Amino acid sequence: MNNIFGLVYSNPSYILITTGIFFLLFIPLIIISEFLFLEPFVVFSMYPETTLSFSLIVFLSILSSLAVSMNIYRVKLIKETKKIGSSIVGTIIGASAGACSCGPIAFSVITTFGTAGSIASSFLTIYEIPIRLTSIGILGIVIFVTAKSLSRECKMKF
Amino acid sequence: MVDTKKIAVAGAAVVLVVILVTFATSYMSDFDTPRTSTNDDEFKTLELKQAPVLGSKTATVTIIEVGDYQCHMCKLWFEETRPQIIENYINTGKANLVFVDMPFLGSDSIPASEATYCADDQGKYWEYHSMLFTYQEDEIDGGWASATRLQAFAFNLGLDIEQFDKCMTTDDHYARVNYNRQVAVTEFGANSTPTFMIVNTLSGESQRVVGAHPYSTFENLIDSLI
Repeated sequence: MNNIFGLVYSNPSYILITTGIFFLLFIPLIIISEFLFLEPFVVFSMYPETTLSFSLIVFLSILSSLAVSMNIYRVKLIKETKKIGSSIVGTIIGASAGACSCGPIAFSVITTFGTAGSIASSFLTIYEIPIRLTSIGILGIVIFVTAKSLSRECKMKF
Repeated sequence: MVDTKKIAVAGAAVVLVVILVTFATSYMSDFDTPRTSTNDDEFKTLELKQAPVLGSKTATVTIIEVGDYQCHMCKLWFEETRPQIIENYINTGKANLVFVDMPFLGSDSIPASEATYCADDQGKYWEYHSMLFTYQEDEIDGGWASATRLQAFAFNLGLDIEQFDKCMTTDDHYARVNYNRQVAVTEFGANSTPTFMIVNTLSGESQRVVGAHPYSTFENLIDSLI
């Protein structure tokens, strides 16, 4: 497994892609979840009650960036897109959790879809932690399977 | 034959784009709203409705909180930031606090807001307000703010239950809650809770704060307005 990570990230462009995807996901998620405020000042705030939520966002962002970049490498190698879809699905599931709390997204969803929006928003808020854990699980499996697959395919190539 | 894998990838991409667009539009609309104003119309509107005020009515700064009693971030702000504001600004007479209801999260949000004004009829608005946030539970419309629980909160505060029940069943304050919700959206441009307007009542200068910001944000803004 280590050899595969070494192989993928020996190319600096994949480190750049991973870092880019990490920040593209991490920054919006901490803004949505109200850890980072941009107005009226840039302020980062984390309360003891929200430490777990923040940790899961960090894990989710790291795993998403690894899963997507490894699959980009895999797509380039064997032109097969199956697992990149899984990694995107895993990312979406994790990103949607907690997005509908009391924020503008919840307001838009509830005012547009009424009771159905309210139920969906409530569900995503209550089950934020289990949903994020599920998403992390999906991404973990995707990374493991991708690494295995890359290991097999690279042996065949070399 | 249609390739299901391609459809799945395309579907996932579409969902991702929708989420990103929703996020961008929701937050960018927020940035478009002017942050400062020298217009004190918002404050006059509240005065018209005689909103309960926590602290000195003659304080230089008024903090207007727009909230929903079922909002988790409002509870977080109530527990983490509000006590420090009360200690350093409200108890010292520098600022006062007004709560404007924006019940949108669930069907129990409106009765919860109405109940606070039924408690206000008996002089216990802020006690009831605090009780709601203290006993707020995770699940929206999960029963923690049902009619029975609202009555139990009133009982625990020693309110006249007969009067409270009559107030709730006849929807005495429904119009007021609805009016506050309209003010929150139209006057303050609130599209999330909690949203705050920090107003200098003498100059009319105001600052808007969106979200459960930490104490440092309020400290900086209030000090700049005093």
